[in-house]
Amino acid sequence: MTPLHAVGSFLRELLLGVPLPAARVLFLMLLSVALVWVVLRGPDPGENPERVKTLKIWAAAALVIQILIYTLL
Amino acid sequence: MPGRLGAIDYAVLFAYLAGMLWLGLWVGRRLKTGDDYFLAGRRLPWWAIGFSLVATDIGATDIIGGGGNAYRYGLAQANFEWIGCVPAMIVGAFVFVPFFHRLGIRTIPEYMERRYSPAVRTTLAVCLLLFMAFNLGIMLFASAKMMSGLFGWNTTVCLLLTAALVGVYTSSGGLAADVYTDVLQCVVMIGGCLAIVGIGLAELGGVGPLFDKVREIDYSRRGGVDHTALILPADTSTPFPWTGIFFGLSLILSPAYWIGNQAIVQRSLGARSEFEAKASFVAGAFLKNVIPLVYVVPGLIALALYPNLADGDHALPELASKLLPVGARGLFLAAFLAALMSTVDSYINSASAILTLDLYKRHLRPDADEARLLRVGRFTSVGVMAWGIASGLAMGLVEGTGVYDAFQTLMAVFQGPLLAILLGGALWRRATARGALVGFLGGAATTGILFTLNQKPVQDALGIWPLFTVASPYLYYSIWSFLVAATLLVTVSCLTPPEPEEKTRDSVYRRRTA
Repeated sequence: MTPLHAVGSFLRELLLGVPLPAARVLFLMLLSVALVWVVLRGPDPGENPERVKTLKIWAAAALVIQILIYTLL
Repeated sequence: MPGRLGAIDYAVLFAYLAGMLWLGLWVGRRLKTGDDYFLAGRRLPWWAIGFSLVATDIGATDIIGGGGNAYRYGLAQANFEWIGCVPAMIVGAFVFVPFFHRLGIRTIPEYMERRYSPAVRTTLAVCLLLFMAFNLGIMLFASAKMMSGLFGWNTTVCLLLTAALVGVYTSSGGLAADVYTDVLQCVVMIGGCLAIVGIGLAELGGVGPLFDKVREIDYSRRGGVDHTALILPADTSTPFPWTGIFFGLSLILSPAYWIGNQAIVQRSLGARSEFEAKASFVAGAFLKNVIPLVYVVPGLIALALYPNLADGDHALPELASKLLPVGARGLFLAAFLAALMSTVDSYINSASAILTLDLYKRHLRPDADEARLLRVGRFTSVGVMAWGIASGLAMGLVEGTGVYDAFQTLMAVFQGPLLAILLGGALWRRATARGALVGFLGGAATTGILFTLNQKPVQDALGIWPLFTVASPYLYYSIWSFLVAATLLVTVSCLTPPEPEEKTRDSVYRRRTA
């Protein structure tokens, strides 16, 4: 066994200890963080706030669909 | 057994191909400059780019190899369209796309010179060229395989015909031809694949019976893969453990692809405004939600109907040849060709942009005017296509490797290191040119070493066990190559003098000021 194998085995054992529902929560957290970031992000100076708002709504919708998919499937 | 095409199939196919050729040549008749050719004169609307981004991403490798993986491993393949695209596209839309658009660059290597040095630019340009050229070969080979399986045609003839057709309109019309043909190709691709989904679900009795049948097959195989699970355990034997999907795909490969792949970024650089560039990525992200219907669900339908195929990559061809009636086969073949052509044309144009702008103009003829760049661009497009044909024919020699896996492994070589130096350059003012060069090369070498150590003959010769327990561990390659590249970038940057302020003033990201 090489040092690379030792590192791999350690990480494998560590990650195998994570239950699948917790892994699903990790996926949902990533999507939720992206959603919150999009919703809270204000327009840049010089941008049309109305157009940016429309863009943010579509971006948020895409992420909400993702959250539903990863919650249900 | 190959299916047979009827007169209606040929009519559909001919109408589609003639339409593509006409549209591509029509768009190309007004080009005058290199900017027209490589960036469509920066006049592209958001909706066209949005469709084009999706069409470029979904290629023949997805229809054949991705469908094959859905057949072999199940719904987990859909991660590549969902968490493997949407979050990165949204972040790209609001941060990196407007940033690159504001800088007025034409290629990603050009950004690397602005931020780092000519050496980083040239190294990346050469690596991206190699990636795109071999990728072209994989895509052309996949198309030939599909057509051969479906109709019994000669694979070499299929490959040459497809290449010639795409080569003509791409070399003539440049990015504008690519993007506007992509719009039509995206619609045909989604429509054609939805036809197969509709007919397949009708045959099975709906979505519920499809999943019941797939579960029944899983149960009868005792202990095999759960084809209905989106998230698979870390110790799965498939290439899609959740660890690889989360850390490798969603955090590394996907952002690298959507903000660092020339074929993708070039489209948004051709947008007529910063807002339209952003909107194109958001539109593409929204559309991505339905893309698993195009090839993942058909892969599951093929499993439910024909569970004993010898090769998963034959799943969709089998489905099309056995399930579709005469007339619909032409539509499906058109959809497949749409997927193929929309990706091939993008890679030809982007490879040509890198050859012309990052190598020819940068090193050979810095004084080349726009008209000359247009001519060189067209010439190099033909050359790239010829290379694609040669590597496509060579792919036949290694048949048996999953097409999708071959593509992803190739991506993993450069994508992790590319992301490390791109993020480092755009977000960390202290990153230096030497750090970027060492990081990129070190990361790429890491993938090469891991790939080599993962080959059975090498393991036998060295007397070592496999490093990875999953099949085709390209997601893990990308994690390690990214980590090594990022570590080297940070270490070497801290040990070398910082870049001058005038170099980092505009090339490090900051939100737009009034």
